[in-house]
Amino acid sequence: MATGLSSSTKTERVFSCPSFVYDEVYGSDSLPRGHWARFLTALRSVPAGEFSRRNEQADRMLRENGVSYHSVGKGGDTARPWRLDLLPMLITAADWAVIAAALAQRARLLNLVIADIYGSRSLIDDGTLPPEVLYANPEFLRPFCDIGRLDQHPMFMYGVELARSAEGQWWVMADRSEAPAGPGFALENRIVSSRTMPAAFKQIPVQRLAPFFARLQNAVRRRAPRPGDNPRIVLLSSGPGHPYYFEDVYLARYLGYTMVEGGDLAVRNDAVFLKTLSGLVPVDIVLTRGAESGLDPLELGGYSGHGVPGMLNAMRSGNVTVTNTPGCGIVGAPVFMAFLPRLCQRLLGEPLKMPSISTWWCGEADSLAYVMDRLDHLVVKPAFQKSGGEEMVVSDLTSEQREKLVSHLQANPYSWVAQEKVARSAVPVWSASGIRCGHAAVRAFLVEDEDEWHLMPGGLIRVAADTGPMQLSIAAGEGSKDLWVIADGKVDPVTLLNPQDQPIELRRTSALFPSRVADNLFWLGRSLDCCDFLARLIRALAERLADEGNVDMTEVRFLARALSEFGQLEPGFVVDGLESQLPSLTEALPDAVYDAGEFGGLARVVNELTRLASLVRDWISPDTWHRINVTAEKFRTSSEKEWRDITDVVSSANSLVGDIASVSGLVFDGMNRGPSWRFLELGRCIERASSTARLLLSAEWKRGSSSPILLKTIIEVLDVRMTYRFRYRENFHRNAVLDLTITDETNPRSLAFQLDRVVSHVDRLPGFEARPLRSDEMRIVMQAAHAVRMLTSEDLAASHPKAVTTALKTVEDSMTHLSDVLTRKYLVHSGVPRQFTEFSGGAP
Amino acid sequence: MKYRITHRTNYNSHESVSIGHNQAWLELRSVNWQLVDSFNLSIDPEPSIRTRRIDSFRNPVHLFSFNEGYQQLTVTATSVVTVSDIPQPDAQLRVPWEQVAGGVKNHATAEDRDAAEFEFASPRIFWSADKRKYAIESFQIGRSVRDALLDLTRRIHTEFAYDSRATTVNTPVDEVFRLRRGVCQDFAHLQIAMLRSLGIPARYVSGYLRSVPTEGQPRLVGADATHAWLSAYCGNGVWLDVDPTNNTICSTDHITLAWGRDYSDVPPLTGVFIGGGQHRLIVNVDVLPLA
Repeated sequence: MATGLSSSTKTERVFSCPSFVYDEVYGSDSLPRGHWARFLTALRSVPAGEFSRRNEQADRMLRENGVSYHSVGKGGDTARPWRLDLLPMLITAADWAVIAAALAQRARLLNLVIADIYGSRSLIDDGTLPPEVLYANPEFLRPFCDIGRLDQHPMFMYGVELARSAEGQWWVMADRSEAPAGPGFALENRIVSSRTMPAAFKQIPVQRLAPFFARLQNAVRRRAPRPGDNPRIVLLSSGPGHPYYFEDVYLARYLGYTMVEGGDLAVRNDAVFLKTLSGLVPVDIVLTRGAESGLDPLELGGYSGHGVPGMLNAMRSGNVTVTNTPGCGIVGAPVFMAFLPRLCQRLLGEPLKMPSISTWWCGEADSLAYVMDRLDHLVVKPAFQKSGGEEMVVSDLTSEQREKLVSHLQANPYSWVAQEKVARSAVPVWSASGIRCGHAAVRAFLVEDEDEWHLMPGGLIRVAADTGPMQLSIAAGEGSKDLWVIADGKVDPVTLLNPQDQPIELRRTSALFPSRVADNLFWLGRSLDCCDFLARLIRALAERLADEGNVDMTEVRFLARALSEFGQLEPGFVVDGLESQLPSLTEALPDAVYDAGEFGGLARVVNELTRLASLVRDWISPDTWHRINVTAEKFRTSSEKEWRDITDVVSSANSLVGDIASVSGLVFDGMNRGPSWRFLELGRCIERASSTARLLLSAEWKRGSSSPILLKTIIEVLDVRMTYRFRYRENFHRNAVLDLTITDETNPRSLAFQLDRVVSHVDRLPGFEARPLRSDEMRIVMQAAHAVRMLTSEDLAASHPKAVTTALKTVEDSMTHLSDVLTRKYLVHSGVPRQFTEFSGGAP
Repeated sequence: MKYRITHRTNYNSHESVSIGHNQAWLELRSVNWQLVDSFNLSIDPEPSIRTRRIDSFRNPVHLFSFNEGYQQLTVTATSVVTVSDIPQPDAQLRVPWEQVAGGVKNHATAEDRDAAEFEFASPRIFWSADKRKYAIESFQIGRSVRDALLDLTRRIHTEFAYDSRATTVNTPVDEVFRLRRGVCQDFAHLQIAMLRSLGIPARYVSGYLRSVPTEGQPRLVGADATHAWLSAYCGNGVWLDVDPTNNTICSTDHITLAWGRDYSDVPPLTGVFIGGGQHRLIVNVDVLPLA
């Protein structure tokens, strides 16, 4: 099959699969199923090479958009790129409607079960559920018993893991009732595949995903604690350490919600507020994405990225809606699958429409006996773990492991379930060597709006190479696919971008600007400029070292000393006798630049840049984020080369300078002049003023006359070569260089210019408009600006320019001081929360 | 017996606490042998907001929060309560213990199903084979649930040393078992773990103990502290409270504050706060018999 598809005839199969699984594409007559026919025709019309190219393009697009998930494995926590196979899985609208009805029933049922568990517990009283299911279950969290809304729809977003068995029957493999991961990945898959699929596929009527997300928005809005309001909605994320942080950012942006972490919210008087630069802003609805057990450290203990002390009582007071309602998670544990048929009859008075994978709860004597009997054919897993947890395929265990499992089953049978194995259906999978067979897991998503459950017309497909049991995490498997629900007729385009016809209220600001974001933007600004400055410095040195036989020691010594002062080089290179060390310096520079492990190396600064950018992704434009990501990616690629030398350093530094400039351009041109831009700019100006002052200080002016070569190096690193040449040609004088880099207010690279900008930014910081006298931070920056402005032309020309050195020192110190003051005043709103508890038991 | 109980918690911090959220299980629950005549919870400084709710074990809980900073916090709970003897239906207490465990295992009655809430591991209580082995020596087949329970209580009392320096609020039950020493909370947790390992539900009880003055000495005001013991299920909805720290069946000397699966369900006072630097917690309890 490695050759082009176009060469295959119309009857030839594009792939084949084992006979014991359901073939999604071909029927038992070996002919393509109806909904695949059109797709296969389109596929045959595209040369294989072209399809491969499109697949690579999709991968690149995902990588460049930073689509990733975190996986914790050996070697620590790493971000892994999301992978997409452009060949979709297809299903007819009619089949999907049957699934929709079954899953809607299941969602209704689960909601009734949740409401009962955290309400009257009548299911325990009447024997439908054995008490162990709750009382031995560590996920049954009692503080959720009275947080309200349980009688309505505790769960409004629901994810289901599906598989199709050999007979063509759909089975539910797992329920995701807490904060289902995946809808954002499904959407991104759709967007990327519709941008990269060849035109031949555009004629296939695929149902669109946007209406589902519009539903979702509507459903969230309707859950406001007070009807009629225009509710303020936040998406509560566990932060960058969470495996699906990307999706949090993505959904927040797509749905138009402010993304927050636990530390951004505060509970005051039983109401929830967002900490912003301009004070506390009330929040009505919290769309939570983290584990419910971490929501409120006061009542649930522990600290997680999304924990907010006092949140549960704010819910009880009816001042905020948290959704899905905490407590929904419990029914995602596999133990409930064993009881769903019974529960469906009891609560809905009808049979369950779609079966769960056969599940035996070992807490019942009959089930345990049956499980022990057939153990080698089953999968055993903890009964109460929501995400499926560890999963043991008994036939794969060593005899030692098997014995251990048996003893666990006998000691605490109620803590375990056993499940049948399902051989998942087969789908064609694109690979470099041609199309092969893969086995599909389908994740479907539902949302409840106005008492109706709506199934996303699409979903997330994950593919495994073999038919063995597959981990249920959305990151498991070899890659993902889009799911196309083939409509009967034509599909109307819908987009979220302009949901209403009527004009909206015009605004100049976005009110919700969390302090944490300001902090990250400030440091992003500093990193951007730091990166630019270091790249110039490194480029200057590398160019000189690469230029063999023509090395001027004055400038090399100056650059090496500066680099060592900025933490980029071992101080050992700066001692006397540098000439003899030149070869080793040439050798050491690439490592110092590229190794992220080196203290303060450029690679670290570049990593820091992407880290910070990822923290504020929803506050900078997608293009800016994309550009930063590409910049870092490029730098990393060159650093990963096995063999690298000084010329690589030159070229890396060169492209870094250019790339950072284009990021700056995007920021300068594209970013709104709001508080986010201000903090980013403030960070940049402070960094630039500070590094310029430090560089000039390291030149040791007092050693008498400055060589023209040194002066030339300085204006090169500070990027004022052009201006200097226009004004003075090749006539290098110290006073002219100092004027251009320090006192010239018309030069955007000069200290005077940067300090002016810092003054104007500090002047416009929120909350200080009405102050009669100047604030601390204003006085600090004015002191620096003043020191620079008071320099005279005699000071600049003096043979021992003491006044200049003093002014530079003032600038350097003031910038450090200013950064601290700003951080304390605006950026760090809260310390680390701590817990105390009174010990019972002093008395004998 | 009628008591006036004053339970004062002083929280002193080195720097100002900026924001704090607190929960207190300091109000005595009403049970059929214990009538709460009055209760007052005074908090200084006055919190920004306070509420009361009933938790899922039906204990009253007070929640209060501060928006303003404070350096010193004083929480004073004052209760007047009348305690009568805890009823002990003899016939039920003579039932063989394995019959009690069997009823719970088979969810025989509504009472047994309710008791099952206290049958399993909980955040602070796990058991192990060695603890079960220790306990089973008191639980011969056919022995009445009362006798077996009291024998285990007596053994823990004699074989474990009371030592307030050996453990902290976070010492695990396993460690207590290994050290053979601890305080009332540790002994209660340990005995609960042992009972649950045998299939007998047991709950943790937080409360106060009337301190009996030494003869000829005046009663020491404020020397008392909070106390903890356990309540074991004896079948048919009957629970028997025993105190391993004092080797006794609880009666009118024991005043019940709250109960749960273990300490973590009912700490007298717990909070989350920001700031404060180093801090010190001083607790004073005064159990004054009125009549």
